[in-house]
Amino acid sequence: MNYFPDEVVEHVFDFVTSHKDRNAISLVCKSWYKIERYSRQKVFIGNCYATNPERLLRRFPCLKSLTLKGKPHFADFNLVPHEWGGFVLPWIEALARSRVGLEELRLKRMVVTDESLELLSRSFVNFKSLVLVSCEGFTTDGLASIAANCRHLRDLDLQENEIDDHRGQWLSCFPDTCTTLVTLNFACLEGETNLVALERLVARSPNLKSLKLNRAVPLDALARLMSCAPQMVDLGVGSYENDPESESYLKLQAAIKKCTSLRSLSGFLEAAPHCLSAFHPICHNLTSLNLSYAAEIHGSHLIKLIQHCKKLQRLWILDSIGDKGLEVVASTCKELQELRVFPSDLLGGGNTAVTEEGLVAISGGCPKLHSILYFCQQMTNAALVTVAKNCPNFIRFRLCILEPNKPDHVTSQPLDEGFGAIVKACKSLRRLSLSGLLTDQVFLYIGMYANQLEMLSIAFAGDTDKGMLYVLNGCKKMKKLEIRDSPFGDTALLADVSKYETMRSLWMSSCEVTLSGCKRLAEKAPWLNVEIINETDNNRMEENGHEGRQKVDKLYLYRTVVGTRMDAPPFVWIL
Amino acid sequence: MEKEGLGLEITELRLGLPGRDVAEKMMKKRAFTEMIMTSSGSSSDQCESGVVSFGGDVEKVNDSPAAKSQVVGWPPVCSYRRKNSCKDASTTKVGIGYVKVSMDGVPYLRKMDLGSSQGYDDLAFALDKLFGIRGIGVALKDGDNCEYVTIYEDKDGDWMLAGDVPWGMFIESCKRLRIMKRSDATGFGLQPRGVDE
Repeated sequence: MNYFPDEVVEHVFDFVTSHKDRNAISLVCKSWYKIERYSRQKVFIGNCYATNPERLLRRFPCLKSLTLKGKPHFADFNLVPHEWGGFVLPWIEALARSRVGLEELRLKRMVVTDESLELLSRSFVNFKSLVLVSCEGFTTDGLASIAANCRHLRDLDLQENEIDDHRGQWLSCFPDTCTTLVTLNFACLEGETNLVALERLVARSPNLKSLKLNRAVPLDALARLMSCAPQMVDLGVGSYENDPESESYLKLQAAIKKCTSLRSLSGFLEAAPHCLSAFHPICHNLTSLNLSYAAEIHGSHLIKLIQHCKKLQRLWILDSIGDKGLEVVASTCKELQELRVFPSDLLGGGNTAVTEEGLVAISGGCPKLHSILYFCQQMTNAALVTVAKNCPNFIRFRLCILEPNKPDHVTSQPLDEGFGAIVKACKSLRRLSLSGLLTDQVFLYIGMYANQLEMLSIAFAGDTDKGMLYVLNGCKKMKKLEIRDSPFGDTALLADVSKYETMRSLWMSSCEVTLSGCKRLAEKAPWLNVEIINETDNNRMEENGHEGRQKVDKLYLYRTVVGTRMDAPPFVWIL
Repeated sequence: MEKEGLGLEITELRLGLPGRDVAEKMMKKRAFTEMIMTSSGSSSDQCESGVVSFGGDVEKVNDSPAAKSQVVGWPPVCSYRRKNSCKDASTTKVGIGYVKVSMDGVPYLRKMDLGSSQGYDDLAFALDKLFGIRGIGVALKDGDNCEYVTIYEDKDGDWMLAGDVPWGMFIESCKRLRIMKRSDATGFGLQPRGVDE
């Protein structure tokens, strides 16, 4: 390759798109590093505090697309205080100053303000795509700036964000000249929607392929929207309540029949289940179905719908489907690759929840299954062993037994053997979440067999530091380890400090690590940010005479090339 | 410090039956139990009692739904999803829930949770807020003095003037609300005020 001029090498690199591969290329030699960095257009930063905007821009001046992730995963479950960090404004300010030609910005678990959205919308002439997942801190005023100022906007995709809905007219801020929309997802907005503006926008967007509506879009509006967008591929239905005899329902039925490109269906935030049959004619084309917010759809209506969906690859559903419903999925959806079963009753003790039987049925009926998230009442080792045998191709296996520490309900044994079977059989396993009664033994298995494991979530598991050590020593590809309420302490934490250089981050909350243990770690590893999050006694941790022995409530550590961050709130103590 | 965890556990004083595995299980369960018991305010002394009753306590505590919900962030469902599923739970369980509210001249309907209002005054205030127009609610109080009339469709499908019947009776029978201009009200079929049921 060294005999070729740079342009040729660069041309070859154009075919290499995955971040991992491009990162590998840049390590080969200085010349490749240089060529790669000037030609890199898409950059992925898994932890926004691992680097800073200045370093990003120095290395990749031709950047067009940036993906940033902020808060740690456990922030989803309210374990991280809101003010912890993950602010996008400094990034946008730096990018704006540098005049880089940003076209795409994807953010996850970051704090986004209206000010940042306004700045974003004004600074990049070719800005095309904004994807915000689980972000917070902004209002519909920020969306209005994006709508008004981004002349070539292609994607506005808001997934599960906390947005303050000012009930303004953000949709009417799209100028009449805006005809480039491909994706419009505002399902997470709580407030009313200007239906007239929405209909006009959809009507003038011939490339619109993905439209996800919020609760405030009623069925008659949906019928009109679908009539003027028969090219739709991905639809999120808002409110689906109507009388099946009504005119709007008949119009909807007609419109749906014309949507022959429809492949993905979601939403049904409020639904009249008997109206679902309007969708039956297109179900045989569906590859993705997300009914995980449709609490009102269950029983026979749900089953009938699923029986039409023979080509389904992705299914997100509530556990009200029951084991019997999962058996129907297993016999109908032979192409299924990803399944998520969410709990419908979060206050505990639901009788309609699913059990190990549903999981076994799915594993038996769906040979292509590679990703599963399964909330259930109970599990057995025997079931997990069967699942492992049926589906050795799992990439993601996340099991959540609703009651912590629950053993195998038949044998009362820990579930070590069951999970052991999973990691032994599934050689490509990259992500694993554990639950139920588990001893150190399960971690021995994980360390021994889970060679490709990159992300592990542990809760209420293990007996001693040995458990954590098995994982740290065995899983060579570990990137993200998150642990809560497990008896792992300083011994495990400090055993191999250099391990953390190979990982993105470690989270430990309500474990046995002490302040002095964390301090020692921080001393040994200056290239780590060791954060102690202590919301209650801010000052007591320092002043207490026995501070060394004091247990740390929440520890979050991550590798970084830019040292301590300056934007940490007072309750975050960076050692 | 390093010696710990290397088999000296057997010499440690612990609660629980002899035999390592069972004791370890109990310790873990105890950690969880203590967490929810202290958070629900009950005495942690219960955990210190003998093994037999301790085992019993664990079972009881684990089965109680109130105790389960006290553990922060468990089950691991993201907060967005929690909020949206709780909404559904509250509407279906309470039974009164959301009704559609239409207002003459406004091209879209609103939905409002009757269960969240305490009485007609509350409702008046809520309606004003919903459409951003002052004075809707006045109709409920003052009757003839304002531009709007608030009517509702009852279980029988009849359109009734809001405000006649006691609040409790009203929310049980109200299926939807409509705010109409008083000038349009004549000849609409409103049940006249003061007529016995």
